[in-house]
Amino acid sequence: MNVVADGLAGGPAAALLPPVDEAGAPDEVRALYDEIRAFYERADVPPVFRVLARDAGYAREVWGATRHAFTDRRLSRRLKEALAFAVSLTGSSAFGTAFHLGEMRRLGVGERGVFEVLGVTQMFSSYTKIADTLQLEPDMGHIAPADPTPPPGVQAP
Amino acid sequence: MPTVRLRKATEYSAEAQRLFELSKTWFGFDFAEPPAMSRVMAWDPGFGGPHGRAMRRAMGPGEFTRAEKEMVAAVVSGVNACAY
Repeated sequence: MNVVADGLAGGPAAALLPPVDEAGAPDEVRALYDEIRAFYERADVPPVFRVLARDAGYAREVWGATRHAFTDRRLSRRLKEALAFAVSLTGSSAFGTAFHLGEMRRLGVGERGVFEVLGVTQMFSSYTKIADTLQLEPDMGHIAPADPTPPPGVQAP
Repeated sequence: MPTVRLRKATEYSAEAQRLFELSKTWFGFDFAEPPAMSRVMAWDPGFGGPHGRAMRRAMGPGEFTRAEKEMVAAVVSGVNACAY
């Protein structure tokens, strides 16, 4: 999502693949926009989805996967937005960083919580650089037991 | 293979040994040798000490639990393609 958002949903490249305006859009696209607005509780549709809506069928499937991934289940939506914020920040995505920071705040994460995620992201970006530079070999993977949880839809033995 | 020789814990100063004890407590695991990253950071306690305190401050429970923060650390490591 961040790749399309940063590359095509803003800046000079946006003119090459303009987003689909709601006015005059097919019913399928307008229904999709309604779902997106409802999920994020906002008045507008993020530009990335409006660019993807140039292929309504593709946008529908991407949105379905996105909504499923971010829905509260074993992990809360609040935590998932924090993870997405960390991923976006690490990947230098201007769109993703701003979008997921906004979602974190909307879902109740305070300034302290934002800085906690910021701190962990900064700290481990640093550790990973050090580990890679020195080519350190993993030496902590064994301290936690393997999770025997089966994939969704599969009965545990 | 690491590009530096990782010293055994016994080769470090008393100040570094205290950092290793903190590391053991932090992870709740009795390592045969401190993790490689701990030994790297302890090489210069003037750097490793405050860096370790910043790490514990960032990772300690607050609005997010330590487990949730470990997930954040895991995805950051994943994005950076860091196997360690």
